[in-house]
Amino acid sequence: MVHYSLKTLLNWRLHSIVLFSAIISEFIGIQSIPIGNAKLLFLPLFYAFLVCLIFNPNITHFSQKLINKKQASVAISVLAIGILPFIAKFGTLIGPALPKIMDSGVAMIMQEIGNLATMLIAMPVAVLLFKMGREAIGATYSIAREPNIAVISDRYGLKSKEGVGVMGVYVMGTMFGTIYFALISGLLASTDWIDPRALAMACGVGSGSMTAACSGTLAAAYPDIKDEILAFAGASNLLTNATGLYVAIFIGLPFSEWYYKRLSSSSYSVSNATNEV
Amino acid sequence: MMNTTTIDLTQKENKELGFKENIILMLIFCGIALMSNWAGTGHSFLEGLPGMIILFVMIVIGMALKLWIKGPFPTVAWVSLISVLCTLPAFPYSSLLLSHLQSLSFLSLATPVLAYAAMAVTDMEIKLFKQSGIKIAIISVLVFTGTYIGSALVAEAFL
Repeated sequence: MVHYSLKTLLNWRLHSIVLFSAIISEFIGIQSIPIGNAKLLFLPLFYAFLVCLIFNPNITHFSQKLINKKQASVAISVLAIGILPFIAKFGTLIGPALPKIMDSGVAMIMQEIGNLATMLIAMPVAVLLFKMGREAIGATYSIAREPNIAVISDRYGLKSKEGVGVMGVYVMGTMFGTIYFALISGLLASTDWIDPRALAMACGVGSGSMTAACSGTLAAAYPDIKDEILAFAGASNLLTNATGLYVAIFIGLPFSEWYYKRLSSSSYSVSNATNEV
Repeated sequence: MMNTTTIDLTQKENKELGFKENIILMLIFCGIALMSNWAGTGHSFLEGLPGMIILFVMIVIGMALKLWIKGPFPTVAWVSLISVLCTLPAFPYSSLLLSHLQSLSFLSLATPVLAYAAMAVTDMEIKLFKQSGIKIAIISVLVFTGTYIGSALVAEAFL
């Protein structure tokens, strides 16, 4: 058992590097590159992630002069705690809107369950085609936004295989999720297969910036019901914020555990145990 | 090299710190988050402080509930439950709480979290990511598409 002394936890090197990179990143602020109707968005948390990768002694050699691997490893403990202020702030955005959410109807609530379709295709591809291990659970059990990371962090730890999976999809989502949601909603709107209000509600499944880009594209496709589309998308995103955590804990994660066991046992017998990763 | 691997493995088994250590780390983190919030929103350390104290109290209540009530309900869910309850319009002083919380941006609170996440990356994970980077990209596209179309179809069925 490793017991961190207070001196180790309080070591100024790690916290100074984090403070420095967070402040620089926040000063740069949100930047975007427009691509057609959509935007490639860059958030400060993304720069902070990149800057600290450069200062990570496990990755670059020069940073070993600033901080050793043992001092950097305290970050794992801070990480489990550091997500909590963010979660608490998130909750305070939901509380005031809860009465509004209650008014918004059966379709709105039911489409939250539709989020579970996330893993139907992605999990078999991950397990059967790519032969991924338990990373597949973290990667496909949800859309991998901040609350979903918090759930995985709490249940398995971010250093676990499940943690690696959820962080992988999270980073992809942060970099390209916004533009991808704008593209797919525009594409589906052009087919006229699905009610634009349903498409608008589906826009709310991800982060705030994903919701904005996605519903912005829809509003451009259906200018006469623009206001209705933005309202549906906004309410759906609030509802996702409110219920996403609980759907993830009580339905998404247990179901993905079960689904993973089914798939991995079938792939195990088919491949005759040759492809263990 | 052998040595660092051993350290990493033992840490995984012992990711839970004591209550006191967690509170101390939380205080450091809140300080850094306030500076990050200042750089991002322009609200000074002191302007953000009352809101951060409110969040801190909610978190301590959530952590205490997790300690007292055994079960699968994780700390994050307790903390989120407490913060939702305290800001319901019917909750006494909820508008006062919200007015103090306004000076904190939730994206700025997430910035130092991601910085610590990057510092927590180890040799082991880099190897893993090198092996499966393309796979993760394909899986991500499937995850986003599945979620979006799944939600849209269910909403369509109930409209």
